[in-house]
Amino acid sequence: MPFLKRYLLPRIVQYLVVIFIGGTLVFIIPRLMPVDPVQQTLQRITIQGAFLDPRAIEQIRETLLELYGLKGSLMEQYFALWHRLLRGDFGPSYVQFPTPVMTLIKISLPWTVGLLVTTTVLSWTVGNILGGIAAYYSHRRWAQLMENVAMVIRPIPYYIIALALLLLLAYAVPIFPVTGGFSIGRSFVLSWGLVLDILKHAFLPALSLAIVGTATWFMTMRLLVSNLLAEDYIVYAQIAGVQDGEILYNYAIRNAMLPQVTGLTLSLGQIFGGALITETVFSYPGLGTLLYSSINSGDYNLMMGITLLSVVAIATGVLIMDLIYPFLDPRIRYE
Amino acid sequence: MKLTGRYAGLLLLVLSILVAASSLALAQIGPDIPREETLIVDILTGRNPNPRRFNAWAPGTTLDAGIQQLMLDTLWCVEYAQGEILNVVAAAPPMYNDDYTQMTVKLREGLYWSDGVAFTADDLVFTVETLKANPGMNYQAEFDMFVKEVYKTDDYTVVFELKEPNSRFHTYFLNRWGACRIMPKHIWENVDNPMAFDFYPPVSLGQYVLKDVDPGGYWFLWEKREDWERTAVGQLYGEPKPRYVLFHFYGPPERKVIAQSRHELDMCDLTMESLQASWENPGFRTYRKEYPWIVNIDPCITGITFNALVEPFDNKDVRWALALAMDIVDVMALSFDGAGVMGALLVPPTPVYLDWYYEPMEEWLREFTLDIEVDGAPFKPYDPGAAKRLADYAAGRGYDVPDDPAKQREIFGYGWWKYAPEVAAQLLERNGFSRDKDGGWLLPDGTPWKITITSHPNPAHPAYKNSFAIAQQWRRFGIEVEVVTTEQYNTLATYGQFEVSSVWPAYEPWGGHPDMYRTLRMWDSDLHRPVGEVTYGHQGRWSHPDLDVIIDKLEKIGFDDPELIPLAIEGLKITTAEMPSIATFGYPGFVGWDETYWTNYPGAENPYQQPYQHWPNFKFMLPFLEPAGNK
Repeated sequence: MPFLKRYLLPRIVQYLVVIFIGGTLVFIIPRLMPVDPVQQTLQRITIQGAFLDPRAIEQIRETLLELYGLKGSLMEQYFALWHRLLRGDFGPSYVQFPTPVMTLIKISLPWTVGLLVTTTVLSWTVGNILGGIAAYYSHRRWAQLMENVAMVIRPIPYYIIALALLLLLAYAVPIFPVTGGFSIGRSFVLSWGLVLDILKHAFLPALSLAIVGTATWFMTMRLLVSNLLAEDYIVYAQIAGVQDGEILYNYAIRNAMLPQVTGLTLSLGQIFGGALITETVFSYPGLGTLLYSSINSGDYNLMMGITLLSVVAIATGVLIMDLIYPFLDPRIRYE
Repeated sequence: MKLTGRYAGLLLLVLSILVAASSLALAQIGPDIPREETLIVDILTGRNPNPRRFNAWAPGTTLDAGIQQLMLDTLWCVEYAQGEILNVVAAAPPMYNDDYTQMTVKLREGLYWSDGVAFTADDLVFTVETLKANPGMNYQAEFDMFVKEVYKTDDYTVVFELKEPNSRFHTYFLNRWGACRIMPKHIWENVDNPMAFDFYPPVSLGQYVLKDVDPGGYWFLWEKREDWERTAVGQLYGEPKPRYVLFHFYGPPERKVIAQSRHELDMCDLTMESLQASWENPGFRTYRKEYPWIVNIDPCITGITFNALVEPFDNKDVRWALALAMDIVDVMALSFDGAGVMGALLVPPTPVYLDWYYEPMEEWLREFTLDIEVDGAPFKPYDPGAAKRLADYAAGRGYDVPDDPAKQREIFGYGWWKYAPEVAAQLLERNGFSRDKDGGWLLPDGTPWKITITSHPNPAHPAYKNSFAIAQQWRRFGIEVEVVTTEQYNTLATYGQFEVSSVWPAYEPWGGHPDMYRTLRMWDSDLHRPVGEVTYGHQGRWSHPDLDVIIDKLEKIGFDDPELIPLAIEGLKITTAEMPSIATFGYPGFVGWDETYWTNYPGAENPYQQPYQHWPNFKFMLPFLEPAGNK
């Protein structure tokens, strides 16, 4: 089995090394930040009014260091981390102590996955198809119009597009909700009504992501196909009288797909980091705000949990892509 | 342009989607929750990532989404609008023995938990014993440190035997945006791990009970208890008016403005900028209906803090020089367009503290001199006309400002320090500072003087605005100033890793009581630590032996001793003369209220209550709100 020995096993070892390095970095980097998780907890308790005797604060600090597992040397903490991780345990959140990090991730993850997987796949599909068509028929007016629209949208900061949609469709023409994942007071039991309600609340965040995503994929695909159109095999096909549709889909787009599929894999992996700006602008529940608040509050375990999830997702996605490349592109062989 | 059939079809499709979406959209709240019976308020601390956790005794639990306002009452509560302490679950103020080693608490009778079980002394005793036995839980360290024994003498009387004298032990149960709350014993006595217990669904001692939560953590819906009269608020003030209270986090200020324009948010905190954007919203009002709009009773003072362990800020002359190099009118104009109450003392200039401290100390302030002479006479730094100058600035901006000096003092404060850059220069020069050829200040060793101010990163926060406004003043005086904004500015200050910071210049006092122990104690020399270590006192790391003596005296007298105010005044004279921090103005709260569905909010014209929805006192407001009659 030369494939197994010469490619698959080394590739899996590489995959594990990437995750190990990722885990090590997410252990080290938060500890280099000027943030003290115990101090953050104490501040939350005291900053807005609760009175604690200063001597008691000293005692609380010692207790929290013990409970959070922050006593002992860095090496001891590091080994404790891997000991926990190998059992599939990210440890407790400091901010929501002693709630396990996995519990917090499970609360936010479905919203993030639902929104971002849908919009990523949708914008990838639409962007690539339109980008390919626009490149192939670049001399047509409608293709130039699409290109101009995409060129205008792509450089606009995402925040501006999100806010503009919010102002337009929730304020000026208030037809979509301002906030949240579903209507307040609605029973969270699976039904068509709930599904419609969730879709309604997800519409604006999804639209904002889809607009930007589609424009980005469109531009990339258009560029790739434009370059391919000068290739001999396409020119030859055109001379040979092959139908335009067949040239476009089977000769141009298919050959341009490889980097796009890699891009899709990376985008899907990045989903696990959440969409902070989307969540903030639309008050949409998800991992982005969870990650952001964990960084601010020095919640090392929560930070590590979300980041490591993202590292594993991206590394796994890339591994899978590497393995299925030959099916996408017959020129690739693992020999 | 002529629409072809294909384009017309596309347009029709888009319009159809929008119309379909609009028919689905309607209001944010579900059909079973009548809007006119629901009060919708903002959550100050943001999204709750763990929305089904109601364990208020574990650190980290979100409290201001209803737990502290509607669900768990405390023994006592600070009421800072009127300047009083309310007996909530307690029937009377605490009773101490002569040497403050025993405290007796009488509980209110006739209170019930929302599941129908009577509230008794057993609940309080159980709470204290449970917390004391579980390290890491809130108040464990305090109870471990002070409580020798806690027991009941009857169903409504609890006695605390203390390990050492403590005249303020009761303040652990005094709610001021935080206090020890009481557990329902009948629920918690069956819990193995109190720290891990979520307490969901929660049992309430307040007048509302949890109806629903957002799994995403953005909203919490509470419903009025049918037996609301069996709660402390019911006994004190009667029936709360809203049937439902919805706590909803809307996010950044622009979202709140949009939500209020749609009448989907009744009460929220805003910023100066978003408040001005909200004027177009029908039904919108602020705390004060006219300029300066702000809440002037928030018991916090803003300003700037020096690190007294870092040169040259360890020098009193330098600290005073920097105060005199600031024109408070310019600072407040830059920060909040003049909307604020200036305060020269390290005490919030709210109406009650103006009465307790600013008024009695004003004569002393007028006569107070610095150890420096100007025109052959000791220099008097206090400027009683500063508020008038601020009023003139506001009038010049076109705002409607009352002519009555008494009214101006109420709105803008009593006075501040003189803008006296020439005196500031004298103070610096006698300490070896000098100027270069361009007028820039040099340190005594001849190197250019550069000050770094560490600040809050939120541009709407007074700490941020103060930092930039003060930096501009000092630059004008000839000092190079850099402002560094960081989310970690508080942590840096706690470790002493700063020169100058916009952290609170003084620890907040109780707000509704003249006792200043809480504030002055934080400057006790035994709490301070070297730079690089966490301090448990004020982050400025300043202390003074004379103040230590006053703190000791305060510690030994009761909460209502007649010596409290005179002793605190002596302490404030020391902090004024030493200038460890520069107080600027009271925290300017910007609240936005929508009167479409509810009226009779506690505005400046009728401040029957504190005005914020995130304070625990919010519960006392609810019986006084009136439905506006709109459906």
